[in-house]
Amino acid sequence: MYGGLRGIELAGILLVALAGFILPHLLPGYFLYTGNMLLTYAILAIGLDLLLGRTGQFAFAHIAFFGIGIYGTALLESRVGIPFVLAMPIAACIAGAIGFLIGFPAARLKAVYLALATYAFAECAQWVFRTWDPVTGGPDGLRFPPPVIFGYQTGTDRSAFPVVAIILALVLAATLYLTKSKLGRHMCAIRDSEHVAAVSGIDVRRVKVIAFTVSAVFAGIAGGTYTLFQSFINADVLGAAQLVTVLTMIVIGGSGSIIGVLFGVVVIGLLPEVLRAMPQSLLVWQEFVYGAILVAAIVFMPQGLWGLVKPRLEARRAPKPARVAEAIRTQPKVSL
Amino acid sequence: MFLQAVLSGIVMGCVYALIALSLVLIYKSTDVVNFAAGEFVMIAGYAGLFLLDWFHLNYAVMVVLAIVLVAVFGALFERTALNRIIGFKYNAEAALVPMVVATIGLSFVLKGVVRVIPSTEEVLRLPPLFGGPPVFLGDLVLQRQDIGIVVVAVLVMVALSLGFNFTATGKALRATSQNPRAAALIGIPVRRMRMLAWGLASALAGISGILLSPKLLMTPDMGSVVMLGIAASIIGGFTSLVGCVVGGIVLGVVQNLVGIFLSPQAIAVTPFFIIMLVLVVRPNGLFGEAMRLKKV
Amino acid sequence: MSRNKIAGCIIGGLVALAASTGARAEPGVTDNEILIGMFGPLSGPLIAYGIDPVAASKMMYEEANKKGGVHGRKIRLIVEDDKCNPNDIVSVVKKFVTVDQVFMLHGGSCTGAVSAAADYINREKVPYAMLNAAGDNAVFPPTRYVFGSFQGTQRTYAAAFATFAAQQLKAKRAAVIVHDDEYGKANAAMAKATFEKLGVTVATIERIPPNISDVTAPLLKIREAKPDVILSGAYPAPAVLIAQKYAEFGMTAIPLLQSAQGIPTPSVFAKNVANPDALQNFYYTWAFNDIGDAAVRTKYISLFKAYNDNREPGPFMMSGIPSAVAVIAALEAAGRDLTREGFVASMEKLNVKDDFMPGPIEFGPKRRDAARTMVIIKYDGKSQKVMPGTYTWDGVEAN
Repeated sequence: MYGGLRGIELAGILLVALAGFILPHLLPGYFLYTGNMLLTYAILAIGLDLLLGRTGQFAFAHIAFFGIGIYGTALLESRVGIPFVLAMPIAACIAGAIGFLIGFPAARLKAVYLALATYAFAECAQWVFRTWDPVTGGPDGLRFPPPVIFGYQTGTDRSAFPVVAIILALVLAATLYLTKSKLGRHMCAIRDSEHVAAVSGIDVRRVKVIAFTVSAVFAGIAGGTYTLFQSFINADVLGAAQLVTVLTMIVIGGSGSIIGVLFGVVVIGLLPEVLRAMPQSLLVWQEFVYGAILVAAIVFMPQGLWGLVKPRLEARRAPKPARVAEAIRTQPKVSL
Repeated sequence: MFLQAVLSGIVMGCVYALIALSLVLIYKSTDVVNFAAGEFVMIAGYAGLFLLDWFHLNYAVMVVLAIVLVAVFGALFERTALNRIIGFKYNAEAALVPMVVATIGLSFVLKGVVRVIPSTEEVLRLPPLFGGPPVFLGDLVLQRQDIGIVVVAVLVMVALSLGFNFTATGKALRATSQNPRAAALIGIPVRRMRMLAWGLASALAGISGILLSPKLLMTPDMGSVVMLGIAASIIGGFTSLVGCVVGGIVLGVVQNLVGIFLSPQAIAVTPFFIIMLVLVVRPNGLFGEAMRLKKV
Repeated sequence: MSRNKIAGCIIGGLVALAASTGARAEPGVTDNEILIGMFGPLSGPLIAYGIDPVAASKMMYEEANKKGGVHGRKIRLIVEDDKCNPNDIVSVVKKFVTVDQVFMLHGGSCTGAVSAAADYINREKVPYAMLNAAGDNAVFPPTRYVFGSFQGTQRTYAAAFATFAAQQLKAKRAAVIVHDDEYGKANAAMAKATFEKLGVTVATIERIPPNISDVTAPLLKIREAKPDVILSGAYPAPAVLIAQKYAEFGMTAIPLLQSAQGIPTPSVFAKNVANPDALQNFYYTWAFNDIGDAAVRTKYISLFKAYNDNREPGPFMMSGIPSAVAVIAALEAAGRDLTREGFVASMEKLNVKDDFMPGPIEFGPKRRDAARTMVIIKYDGKSQKVMPGTYTWDGVEAN
């Protein structure tokens, strides 16, 4: 791992976990529900960012894996009787396995074609969720009981919030570990130029397939957390609209960086709630305003919010020449 | 029954082809997929309907006005919004994701604007250009508007193909997408070409709107037909104009056959399944050029 | 967010905090007001099903307030937009219950979305009356706190149609075309069960996606099946396409029965179909008396206009009335000493018959769907004729 976990990153992770324990005692259920949804979307968005922002693969199948995670966890718990602590990882692995399988053909596709093929896969998955009556309940959807984790009963927003926060903290740690590893460097290399990466000796196809798999696993985990505080799922919430939401969270926040993605999750996640508070006669303008904000944001900040903030932060933190020399001298040797 | 399914499939195929033509036109000229293409079609339909209902214009005048309105809007959108995203990088591929988000945002904006108008709550219908009783070929039925759609689709395809291959402007448009930097160096006004491409494609979407609204019925969500247009263009090859029509017809016919021999329930998933299949097995579709390897 | 709303949230949060520490009076009830959380699709694709019904419910509450309220308490509404989206509904409901501390919930136009919130509502023991959702999945099996289907369930529509087809039209073979969502599923199941009970063969059931743009395939299959009657549960746009294609394929001798949700405004429907032949044998179900009785129609339209700046109401306005009337009646019956449990008990005993619907609004200890009576209307593109008799579902499930 290059560089290890910086102090600030560790602090961030601990903060998330801590907030998970403190906030339920301070806030009413509605805010905790919103918080739970934001945390779940954060896991989703970080997973997609690994694929999109870090490896440069414009793949939009993510929601399908989210759905597999939700249905998988719910079915394993209610039909097979497996407890949540096992059901969620198993469901995430199933999602990962399917991600692995589509990774191979996907690795051969570029840019727009990849986007369209993976989007088509997501639509097919939604259709399967909607029509596979015996397993998914078809259009009627699935009701599932609240999971119990080693005797701790979840199901309400208050009880689920700490668990979801801890899962997010773990996901953040895993992501940081991944991005600072050699694999993470390879992913960035592929994003910046596939051609050069291949010529430099990186097994491009292998890295891409791994990226697809890991991204799918994260989406599966997000699906598992969804079952902690919701009690019902049907295909309606697993479609193009949700895909667009996750995509815009990444793009508006700043793809390729965890902080940027988390920014985006909060902003885009809260935007509909803010818009809904408009006076009643203006409610019908919500869609228009949302779209206008999206277009304006992307036109004026193509690098996202974090892309706007980061250069200013870095300018302030610019190291003095002596420290640069010191850093170069003490850097561990890097092998290709 | 089989023949009727095929015939209706051909007609629907040309519906998809018209939308695909607009998509491919933009893609061939600017390397961008316009996910708001369906909404352009929708806007043209509604603009036409309101021009007829509120101002009582002559149908022909309405058609021209609606097309011009949408074309101008498209060109303006390109010039103000999309141009800034690409900026001076000239490289559309790097800006793919922001472009996608921008066109998706545009589709929300257009849908939102239409939905604000109270009368759009109901399903509406633009009177067809070619009205009158249906035409009978033995047992088979065909609406006059359907014939119009097929004829226009083929005509547009021919016109665009000829334009792209044999006129200076057409070649300039192709150059702009293949290598914008080189095109600029030769003296092609890249930004103006892009605006022209969007204006043309929007005008084409406008024509589609006028022709298709009577058939598809107008709701603010009718833009979702864009996915079928995308499927059609993928089957035919994303850079081929002829492919749009052929691909559209293939898609339309296959959908109907699936509906008859499998179940109408499977109709919804057929275009997506086909997109996946084609892109995995033969990404260039039936007539498309091979993906060019972009330089580092 | 506007400042007032932010202040409201903070105050609400503090109140919730204070309230969560110990027992006290019933939430949402003070000496002079009852707080009700209302929601429906006020934006988005299903806006037509929400805007007017919400306005209609509001107007009924205002009328009650004008007469002095309920046992001296005025009814105050907080209205939120749910876009018929499951996640939005859950969010709005949780806000109402935990931040605004409403007494009860009243809203919802979409069955699928409503089902998402049902578990939470039952767990928190908050009384909930649907707005105009058919709500099949949320009232079968019935749960204590969810009261719904004020304009009839899909089961009711299907049973009414099937009975009419068998008894009045003397059909022997039927074709059914529905969407492949939860609506269509319930519709098809009950139609099939009722037909079989009445000795009618179901020749084919075609399931189509809600956003279908070409109905050639399903209609060709129906033509092949040679039915005596066609039942359609389609939504507005596909309903028009079906009527057009059925005429195009020369099937107009076969009666076409269309469910109410696909035909919001009959005159607009006829204009869209643009083919008078298609409507020679066309019928639809309706849960209200405004078509059959001009006096009822005028009464409620003028009332609506009075409360809404003289705006002409859209087609679904009537569907906002029964739920409000039921809630007001149950609040009255529950007495001055108002509690949530007391309200639920009164709702269970409710049996209200008023001028706007052909049948009563009725619940029971094991019954949570209010309306089971429909009328059938024959529409030829110019005039509407109410067919004699009303059609009441007997409450027997399909399987």
